[in-house]
Amino acid sequence: MSSTVLPPRRRSGMRRRSARLGWAFASPALLVVAAVMIFPIVFSVIMSANHVQVSGNGFQLSGFTGSNYSILLHAPRFWHDLEFTVLYTVFTVAVEMVLGTLIALVLERLTTGRGWMMALLLMPWALITVVSAELWAYVYNGVYGVLDAFLGDFGVHDLNVLGTPMQASIAMAVADVWKTTPFVAIMVLAGLVMLPSEVVEAARVDGANGWTVFWRIRLPLLRPALAVAVLFRILQAFGLFDLPYVLTNGGPGTSTESLAVLGYKVLFNDLEFGPGAAIAATTALIVLVFCLLFLKVFRTQVGEQED
Amino acid sequence: MARRRTRKRNLGTNFAALCIAAFVALPLYWMVASSFKGQADITSAAAVPPHPTTANYGNAFSNYSFGQYLENSAIVAVATTAIVLSLGTFAGYALARLPMRGKTTIMTVLLMISLFPTIAVVAPLYLLLRDIGWLNSYQGLVLAYTALMLPFAIWILRNFFLTIPTAMEESARVDGAGPVRTVLQVILPQALPGVFTAGVFTFVAAWTEFIIALTLNNEDRYRTIAVGIALFGGQFTTPYGTIFAASAVAMLPIALLVLVFRRAVVSGLTAGAVKG
Repeated sequence: MSSTVLPPRRRSGMRRRSARLGWAFASPALLVVAAVMIFPIVFSVIMSANHVQVSGNGFQLSGFTGSNYSILLHAPRFWHDLEFTVLYTVFTVAVEMVLGTLIALVLERLTTGRGWMMALLLMPWALITVVSAELWAYVYNGVYGVLDAFLGDFGVHDLNVLGTPMQASIAMAVADVWKTTPFVAIMVLAGLVMLPSEVVEAARVDGANGWTVFWRIRLPLLRPALAVAVLFRILQAFGLFDLPYVLTNGGPGTSTESLAVLGYKVLFNDLEFGPGAAIAATTALIVLVFCLLFLKVFRTQVGEQED
Repeated sequence: MARRRTRKRNLGTNFAALCIAAFVALPLYWMVASSFKGQADITSAAAVPPHPTTANYGNAFSNYSFGQYLENSAIVAVATTAIVLSLGTFAGYALARLPMRGKTTIMTVLLMISLFPTIAVVAPLYLLLRDIGWLNSYQGLVLAYTALMLPFAIWILRNFFLTIPTAMEESARVDGAGPVRTVLQVILPQALPGVFTAGVFTFVAAWTEFIIALTLNNEDRYRTIAVGIALFGGQFTTPYGTIFAASAVAMLPIALLVLVFRRAVVSGLTAGAVKG
């Protein structure tokens, strides 16, 4: 590097200049993100602690209050939706991680047509969630859905999947698993491919069988890739909106209502911006705390090469 | 003996792969097949449309506004991708290469924002864009999408810039090229795969996004395809034939993009996993 021969003062001057250049390059993007993402998040929190009046031509914050949150904390519906969102997230992500890892293991051994398989796996991921929700609503339809026709062959009739709370939750989870397991599989496969093959070979030579190699060697080495996939999926699942909004609209009753759907309904159907903002802020807070804890536990290598 | 074991193993793998392919492909097939079923057959469970017809397609695009919705989605997705890439390239380069204080913090915040539930920003965005009269417009949605999708694009681009050797930049600087020219003429050509990856991700995200589009652009004229499909249908019956015809067409550009840029998409999905 040519700069090493310069006297220290010139070097630090150059450094300052390129730091200024860095900010000049980065600030347009960072300003847009700050103004249109970070500011609204902060504003949501402010709204949630105020009386908010929305009229035809504007909105007004009129005074600090804790009532939005106290409404929330005393609403059984909020607690139900929180519980549903958490359980749904845990259940679907667990299923997706197991299935995704199994699929990745199959793909890794696949010698022919792997490229086509990858392309196929990307299709559900790239599909508009609303479209997949319509598709599954059609499959689950209680009158003419193909699922009923299929189960009818086995003597199961009139299931009305979307009409009962437990079945509707499972049906929604199946639709979710179908759409997002391929995404997990691809992430895990990338991790598998990067594993050092010598370690596995050495274990094989020492007489370890396939299971032992997988459980004792590959799975522990795979942990960073799995951790990132889990983080991505948990946060996506926690913000669940498109699928229940279209597939069940939260029903029957409010049995499949996620926090995001509740927040949307309170905001834009009931036009209750205070309590709605409180729901949004609570959801964001849970995600934030979870994110920080997760990053702390797994120390997920965020920009380790700070200079 | 060993040979036979390998053959058996391959057979098992291929069978498992076939099951996976069926699991992924069958619902997609069902959607496309149903889009060719007429009104009388849409409620039948026949695997192949008994009387294949393109009536649903005609219906979706001449009797209803799905053509308009697709056009809206295309305009918003293309504009968003263009803006995100131009802002994101410079930001990604700066965060990868230039000595700025607080880079780790910035990257962590960007990662968290890109994973934040969108419901957290929807209400203030709605109120603010209403104040400046940008509800039901292209520019309002493009602005929101740009901010929503920039963080992840910056991550992908920065990770890619980190893998490019610095030698060429050094020599460009010695030759007296200015910083902007260095980025555009020296770095960008080497970073094209990373730019494609970020571009495909941004486009797919903008094409499929729902909650913000639903909130900001609810007028029929400005609905995106996702919103158009979700809000289509009567009180008591859902016209699935028309919906799937529109859905199949909406899937086409994304499917092509994914097929052409398969490698780029896979490397983008694993950008988080690979780094570190």
